[in-house]
Amino acid sequence: MKRGVAASKGMSFSKSPVLAVSLPTWRSRVVLFVLFSAFLALAGRALWLQGMSNEFLQKQGKSRYERTIELPATRGKIMDRNGQVLASSLPVKAVWAIPEDVLESPKDKLRQLAALLEMSEAELRKKLDSDRTFVYLKRQVEMDVIAKIEKLKIDGLDTRKEYKRFYPQGEVMTHLVGFTNVEDAGQESMELAQQLTLVGSTGSRRVIKDRLGRIVEDVGLSKEPHDGKDLTLSVDSKIQYIAYSQVKAAVEKFKAKAGAAVVLDVKTGEVLALANWPTYDPNDRKKLTGAQLRNRVITDTFEPGSTLKPFTVALAMDTGRITPNTRIDTGEGRYVINGAPISDTKAHGVMTVSEIIEMSSNIGTSKIALGMPAQEMWEMFTEVGFGQQPKFGFPGAVAGRVRPYKSWRPIEQATMSYGNGISVSLLQLARAYMMFARDGDTIPLSFQKVSEAPVGQQIIKPKTARDMREMLERVVSGEHGTAKQAQVPGYRVGGKTGTAYKVENGKYAMPRKYIGSFVGMVPMSNPRFIIAVMIDEPTTREHFGGQVAAPTFAAVAANALRAQNVPPDSTVTEIVVPTDGSGDVM
Amino acid sequence: MSGKINLVLTALLVMCALSLVNAQYQARHLFIELGKLEQQARQLDIDWAQLQLDQSTLGKNARIEQIARTELNMTPLTAARTQYLKEGEQ
Repeated sequence: MKRGVAASKGMSFSKSPVLAVSLPTWRSRVVLFVLFSAFLALAGRALWLQGMSNEFLQKQGKSRYERTIELPATRGKIMDRNGQVLASSLPVKAVWAIPEDVLESPKDKLRQLAALLEMSEAELRKKLDSDRTFVYLKRQVEMDVIAKIEKLKIDGLDTRKEYKRFYPQGEVMTHLVGFTNVEDAGQESMELAQQLTLVGSTGSRRVIKDRLGRIVEDVGLSKEPHDGKDLTLSVDSKIQYIAYSQVKAAVEKFKAKAGAAVVLDVKTGEVLALANWPTYDPNDRKKLTGAQLRNRVITDTFEPGSTLKPFTVALAMDTGRITPNTRIDTGEGRYVINGAPISDTKAHGVMTVSEIIEMSSNIGTSKIALGMPAQEMWEMFTEVGFGQQPKFGFPGAVAGRVRPYKSWRPIEQATMSYGNGISVSLLQLARAYMMFARDGDTIPLSFQKVSEAPVGQQIIKPKTARDMREMLERVVSGEHGTAKQAQVPGYRVGGKTGTAYKVENGKYAMPRKYIGSFVGMVPMSNPRFIIAVMIDEPTTREHFGGQVAAPTFAAVAANALRAQNVPPDSTVTEIVVPTDGSGDVM
Repeated sequence: MSGKINLVLTALLVMCALSLVNAQYQARHLFIELGKLEQQARQLDIDWAQLQLDQSTLGKNARIEQIARTELNMTPLTAARTQYLKEGEQ
């Protein structure tokens, strides 16, 4: 153009006067410099953002495509010794709401929601009548219900993942297994004792999600979740059920307040069954009472009564003071020590030691006890675990009470020899009998499955234990035995009855309240099980251990032996027991 | 000569770049697949736990006893009616 213009004026371009006007060179320099420095600033800024101070932008970027995902951990299962599930956690959901938003939804939907949550509409509205922005409507809702709730598409309603613990065996097993609370933390029994093993640790991972919300890449370190460890208990579901149903039947039959039974494995020290009545359903604990919750085998102590006699007699035999055939005069059934009388149910006259156990003579046992120093008796009680805090890791286990021997008066030493003035738990009593069932040694108890037999601690000589077993067998099968009802067809049985007066507020309850108990072992040729049964406050005419607890023992033993395929060791298959309670069953 | 080498190198560079894109794409797809399978594994674990629970619930001794007694008319066995077989005995 210029050229054209210039040419039209008849002038060449280079001669144009405009060109002749020369600007000062610094101006172009300035422009050049400004442009250059602007580029430099841009480059510097870019460098700064990309390389030097990129944290902020990186963070902003990440927050747009990276997500942290919580990885939940499941609480371990609890199983019985044969792998049957006793407690297991399954994912469920908690339903929560933003009250304001939910209340705006149509009435019809709210009614349906209330029905699905198993509450009345009024209840639902009451929960929603809140200023808070987060309200749990119901926790631990099962997944199929959640699916229906989600179909309603109510605004402001959301769910949160959580776990619910299920107990398929319910009330049969609950005193052993325990239960967890809504936060999945153990509250009772093994669930509480093994909380640290059972509970898992949650993990998390950081991921990149694409625009469809799919995870496309892991970034950074992820923390693996660790599921809780499974727990295999020593309990055998079958024996547990047998024990449970027999205790329940006995409590109902004798109109008792409560009952309990425990079955121990003689070889391994495992607790095969631990049953209580009354009990409760761990899946529905709304109406739970203290009486139902009580684990009478472990957390209750009682005066054992005559079940303690074998320990006094065993000690005297072990120290060579008496033999099973030593004769002792029990006189007319009444014996006075320092002005305090001790009586038998009837006059037995001169008896052998073996007969004293068979007929459960208080006077005979007292005379044997008074022939020994108090310290030796105390040591014996302590060695078998009475008055000692149990070490088997069960919440609420009690030590029982044995007073220090220095304060024993002779009358107390005598009554203690037949189990009065001393308190033990049923489990302690059962464990103490381990010494007789095994050849004089005792092993620790276990609530978890044991893989190898534990090493025993010798307390009495093997010969004493064998002699004692013979005497205990006579209690059941002897002519004058106090526990004829403990007989089991096909098997040789041994054990000892006990009847104690209940102590209330530090003195014997009036009118008399009884606790009938029986501790026994089967089969006598090679003991496999120790079974202890306790019936608390039977109110029918029968209240002696030989009447209320021995039949329960027999039923549990017969079924347990059959369930475990123990071959019979006796040819006696038909047993006729006088059931009128005649004879001496103390 | 050097022009040819440059050409070859450029072609190679482009190919490498494209294969990187492709590899990344495939990796993400496989990762999504992995995620799905892991999810499936978790679901199967849950199903397994549910089935174990069902087995334990249905195999409850109380239920077995009740069915045996009422529906199948079975009675408990006694030692008198049992014949015991022992290994190594005539």
